[in-house]
Amino acid sequence: MATRDTLPVEPAPPIAIRLIDALSSEWTKLRSVKSSHWLLIIAAVTAIGGSALAAIADQSSRKPALADPVASTFLAWVEYPILAVGILGLLSFTSEYTSGQIRTTFAAIPQRLIVLMAKTSVAGIVALIFGEALAFASFLVRQAILTGHRGSIALTHPGVPTELLSGGLAICAIATLGVALGAIIRNTAGAVAALPALIYLPLLVLTLPHPWNDDIGKFTLLMAAYQLVSKHAHAGLLPAPLSLAVLIAWPAVALLAAGFLIKSRDA
Amino acid sequence: MIEVDQLSKRFGALTALDDLSFTVRPGRVTGFLGPNGAGKTTTMRVILGLDAPTAGRALVAGRRYGQMFRPLRRVGSLLDANAVHPGRSAYQHLRSVAQSNGISRRRVEQVLKLTGVDAVARRPVGTFSLGMKQRVGIALALLGDPPVLVFDEPVNGLDPEGIHWVRGLFKSLAAEGRTVFVSSHLMSEMELTAEHLIIIGRGRLLADTPMDQFVETNARSDVLVRSPQAHELAQLLNAHGATVTGDGDHGLAVTGLDAPAIADLAAERAIRVHELTPRHATLEQAYLDLTEASVDYHAGQPADKGTAS
Repeated sequence: MATRDTLPVEPAPPIAIRLIDALSSEWTKLRSVKSSHWLLIIAAVTAIGGSALAAIADQSSRKPALADPVASTFLAWVEYPILAVGILGLLSFTSEYTSGQIRTTFAAIPQRLIVLMAKTSVAGIVALIFGEALAFASFLVRQAILTGHRGSIALTHPGVPTELLSGGLAICAIATLGVALGAIIRNTAGAVAALPALIYLPLLVLTLPHPWNDDIGKFTLLMAAYQLVSKHAHAGLLPAPLSLAVLIAWPAVALLAAGFLIKSRDA
Repeated sequence: MIEVDQLSKRFGALTALDDLSFTVRPGRVTGFLGPNGAGKTTTMRVILGLDAPTAGRALVAGRRYGQMFRPLRRVGSLLDANAVHPGRSAYQHLRSVAQSNGISRRRVEQVLKLTGVDAVARRPVGTFSLGMKQRVGIALALLGDPPVLVFDEPVNGLDPEGIHWVRGLFKSLAAEGRTVFVSSHLMSEMELTAEHLIIIGRGRLLADTPMDQFVETNARSDVLVRSPQAHELAQLLNAHGATVTGDGDHGLAVTGLDAPAIADLAAERAIRVHELTPRHATLEQAYLDLTEASVDYHAGQPADKGTAS
């Protein structure tokens, strides 16, 4: 029997190979269950539907043209699909913890951080590509409805490309936040309840008296996304680079906690 | 080869494994027995790197599981056949696991055929019977063509034909020189499959022995005697060194003397005997005796109150 000091040390294969193994596995898992398809369909319907409804409202409104036509439509479409996409992210862990399949996954890849990285990447990349597609689709639907109306803007209008990119980024951030929440909470019902709490509850600070509302509010997830596209950031709001940092920090902090827990807990 | 070395695992106040050591060797089926809650599944989880032991370690082929690259090529396992996403097809389930260890699509199709799941492989696993899920789980364990195989209660839910198939499969895997480690809470199941036994109770090793030796050492055999003069006969047999306990109406269970000796003694004293039956305890009985003893031993200890059954 080998003694404690003489265990053979296996040369670790490049992390790239281990990541490719895990990524291909996670990609197969994601696309082979119906819930993924349903969640993306729901995200698409709410995003495009939300934009269309907002556009129809703007069209019939007699108010003067919007001061910031880009930013003001941003939340209208991005607020709805993030829930579905966040659930897509958290299910990648909770569906496995709930069914017990996580043990098969960790037996196949004992380096659990690789699993976390792979699940985060697959959900994040799918959300990013899907989010960008949704951003364009929502924009085009809105403009089609507003054609000829004074609120109508072109794709090349200053700020529009940033808005579209930011929308995809926000959706990607929520998906990866969802993955981390799933790894931390491990239970679908719990994680599904925690996700909206994390996204929307912080927005309550916006109802605080001035300047508390802005001072704290600017660090919330949704406000960070909004500040990225708002051209007329009034005093007190974060500049775009800092907003981007806040947007990334939310899932990053959650993923760090998830990484720590996933390594230390029994599967 | 699997080496379990002074393994202890505590969950809060509950001691699941208590200084457990044994070695599982290749080339034979090793049965891992114990009552429910004895610590079999916990041991297997530690071997597979899923649970961290409180003390000690488990090695597979001289390595810690957690340090392996593409471990399914070295160790195949089935812990819980129900632990599958119900909405995913058997094929996609196996395919996703195969990809995680660089195992080809062809091998996925091979193991599906081998386990008889190929006809329903495109249907969601959630629609399968437990027996069918066991087959999917066994297919998954065989994916990497591993030299070491670990199965936790693999015959649960299998129909008689499936059980027969599994026994043959385990034996042939062992005959190919693989290490086959199979847990069960039923001795009768192991009786027909295992050549070697590791028995635990309350997280402690009770026996680590070849099957036939286990029977010889532990099987209790006695003679059932029925006589209208049972009281008289009992005194006589006691006087000749036998241990006699009552067994039903006019019945005596006698150990320490065999049937011919009892018959001769009774004839000498003209005691009428109505029945004389040599009895050999089954393997199941030997196992129950052994594990019962471990339960009795612990039952008096207040510290063990409230432990899982």
